Amino acid sequence: MKKNIAIIGIGSTPFGDLFSYSYDDLVREAATAAMKDAGIGPEDLQAAWLSTAFPEIGVFKGRSGMDLAEPLGIFGIPVTRVSNFCASGADAIRNAANALAAGECDVAMALGVEKLRDRAPQDSIVKMMVELSHPFYQKGFTAAGTFAVYANRMMHEYGVTKEDIASVSVKNHFHGSMNEKAHYRASCTIDQVLSSPMVANPLTLMDSCPTTDGAACVIMVRAEDVDKSKHKPINIDGIGLSISTGWDLPFFDSGHDFLSFQATRDAAAIAYRQAGITKPFEEIDLVEVHDCFSIVELITYEDLRLCKAGESKELIRGKATQLGGEIPVNVSGGLLSCGHPVGATGVRMVVEVANHLRGQAGERQVKGAKRGLTHNIGGPGAIASVIILNNEH
Amino acid sequence: MSELKTYNIAFPKFRVSGQVLHPRLGKKSQQTVCYVDEDLLTLSFRAASQLVAADCEPDAVLFATSSPVFQSRYHASFLTDLLGLKQGILALDVISTARAGTDALLLADKLVNSGQYNTILLIAAHVDFPPAGLEYQHSFGHAAVAMIISKDKGLAEINSSESYSSSLAEEFVYKGVKTNYDARFSRSAGFMTNMTDAWKNTDPKPDQIQHLIINSPYARMALGMVKKSGFDTDKQLLKDSIMPVAGHTGACHGFLQMISAIENCKGSALLFDYQNGTNVIGFSIHKNPDESKLSRLHFTDISCYQDYLALRKQGDFKDDAYQPQEMFSSEMMMEREKDQLMYLNGQECTSCHAVYLIKTIRCHHCKGTDFTVKKLATTGTVYTLTAEHYFPASFPPVHMVVIDLDGGGRITVQQTDNMYHDDENRLNIGDRVELVYRSMMENDKKPNYFWKCVKLAQ
Repeated sequence: MKKNIAIIGIGSTPFGDLFSYSYDDLVREAATAAMKDAGIGPEDLQAAWLSTAFPEIGVFKGRSGMDLAEPLGIFGIPVTRVSNFCASGADAIRNAANALAAGECDVAMALGVEKLRDRAPQDSIVKMMVELSHPFYQKGFTAAGTFAVYANRMMHEYGVTKEDIASVSVKNHFHGSMNEKAHYRASCTIDQVLSSPMVANPLTLMDSCPTTDGAACVIMVRAEDVDKSKHKPINIDGIGLSISTGWDLPFFDSGHDFLSFQATRDAAAIAYRQAGITKPFEEIDLVEVHDCFSIVELITYEDLRLCKAGESKELIRGKATQLGGEIPVNVSGGLLSCGHPVGATGVRMVVEVANHLRGQAGERQVKGAKRGLTHNIGGPGAIASVIILNNEH
Repeated sequence: MSELKTYNIAFPKFRVSGQVLHPRLGKKSQQTVCYVDEDLLTLSFRAASQLVAADCEPDAVLFATSSPVFQSRYHASFLTDLLGLKQGILALDVISTARAGTDALLLADKLVNSGQYNTILLIAAHVDFPPAGLEYQHSFGHAAVAMIISKDKGLAEINSSESYSSSLAEEFVYKGVKTNYDARFSRSAGFMTNMTDAWKNTDPKPDQIQHLIINSPYARMALGMVKKSGFDTDKQLLKDSIMPVAGHTGACHGFLQMISAIENCKGSALLFDYQNGTNVIGFSIHKNPDESKLSRLHFTDISCYQDYLALRKQGDFKDDAYQPQEMFSSEMMMEREKDQLMYLNGQECTSCHAVYLIKTIRCHHCKGTDFTVKKLATTGTVYTLTAEHYFPASFPPVHMVVIDLDGGGRITVQQTDNMYHDDENRLNIGDRVELVYRSMMENDKKPNYFWKCVKLAQ
């Protein structure tokens, strides 16, 4: 970042089937927790960004910043809704950081929230793909299928096995068992993953993240404004966001190899350059990646340059990305355990990494973590974000 | 004289036997049945598209069927558009009885002979389902035939085309209700009276006409008359070779028998096509085509009546949990983007030759900005794929296939004709596939068609 930005407050709701929460309840709980953590009140906020990706398949809330301002009573300041598919949450943080860096405001909030479980999945996610998307292009896909085509190509090209893919789910569910806010808190075995119902070959139910409700929030200021007597800030070293293809384009452009997400590579290049990272495997202590489907985690190892192309299977087989390994990935349990309230996920990841950098992650704490990375990809591989956080300033 | 220059036929992949439709009766019939996403229009398109691609551009299109899907809309115009022919040409529907096919042929012959039209694309199709549970009482079969009638020399010369009306129809539909008379009376006063009239007027001579075709379920009644005129009914009266293979294909049936003669016989022939009147088409076969299409038919047999019911239930998903809504209108999108969606006209980058079906102003690979139109091929190779178990469909899972097309360009489409997910249909990376034009959504009430793919023999 050209100007150092610090996170001084973090908060989140539990993630899950939150039938007792409304959209506004989720906003209030996450925001209140973050503001309390930062030691500020709503009156201290000077600008805010709201991330909700899919108001139209949820509860029609989150179509503008108004749906953040109203439940918090923060009126008279700019509040903006951000929507960038699964990178929405990270993009809210990016916009807040840029506004702080530009001096537009001194205290900013980025909050991600999604209320999906007021509708059955068939009425939300599936219906979106069936009825709301292009009537011909990609008709027949669900979200899982758009990533399953990558899995089959990875298996064909690089010798990735179904067991390798299932191992991601096993690892992340193990991590999720230690996260009190995760949607699913049960460990599982490779056999259980492989024998769970097939969703989109080769991805099974347990290779797929659930639809979930949840919200997460961060309070940000310029690093120079941090009162170190009150806060233990987490600094943002880099934020990269890139749209590198389109929703349909990969499926209609024979130059696309279905082995990599260029958006992740581009976003990582931006973030690494800002953070001065040249050897990510050695310079980063923990990573939260967008494991909406387990194959995405394997591809992302390669796209983040944690390993070379075609070598992701070695990382998962060698347990390098498990808690206690050389570079733990998704110690929160990932999307596979936490679920994926789309607009909230990117912010939830930043909250998770911040907790580790503060040394407050409890049983799943990555020991001595100083630098962490969050990654999101969506649309369904077009848009990616990478955020680098550290606690060393 | 007009000529039958060339032709093509299209049958569905699937076929149901009388044994499956009613095991207790054990009828030996075989009837071709459209797949769940296949209909009169897609079958017609399949039959006609190769002719249009391979031949000169028609200046008229005639469409014949006794099982129309549109009211207040011309099938011929729809198909003209689908085939990429220019609008503003003569495009007529001939929709009445199972005689509609030869009605259209008769009309085409007159139009070409008048000199007003040079090349007429004639399409006949039949897709009709009897009421569920009563299929065994009907001899339906689904098919489409397309032919080019022109002045240019082709496979056969149409040397006569006449029609003889009849006041009496053995059975017909009046205000939605099937009406029929006493069978003996109606066949005698209907078929036999009319056929006799047609026979006398035509006055065929056995030494001039080598082959006879009588397309009617009552053809046996005319045998005496035919013999009396000196014809050898065993040798010269051609047997209906289509019925045992595909069932009665309505407006296509006379054409299919005519095609059977063109593929297998030499000399002159007369086709008597009867239903509530007789069309008599005389034709002389110049040569048998290099490839016999009728002898190369291959079908997949439907194994049980439940499968047949599932296949014919157009409009119903199996997924009870999914309550389908109508998709947003694709009519405007199709009209606007038909160049890509219908005709598969992509863009080719003039510098790096990357091909895009989806419009762009900047090449994603070399950043070039200069493009030429590239017509994408309809055959290609599977690049990657998946089977979608949660997309609502009549026959889940829906197989989604990413295809690199021959000559450049990529498309991603559903696999079809794969009711049975067996080895014959199982796709892998690297397999060869062909694009086919099919109905997109079983639940959608609008005519939403797009490309799907079928596995080619490897």
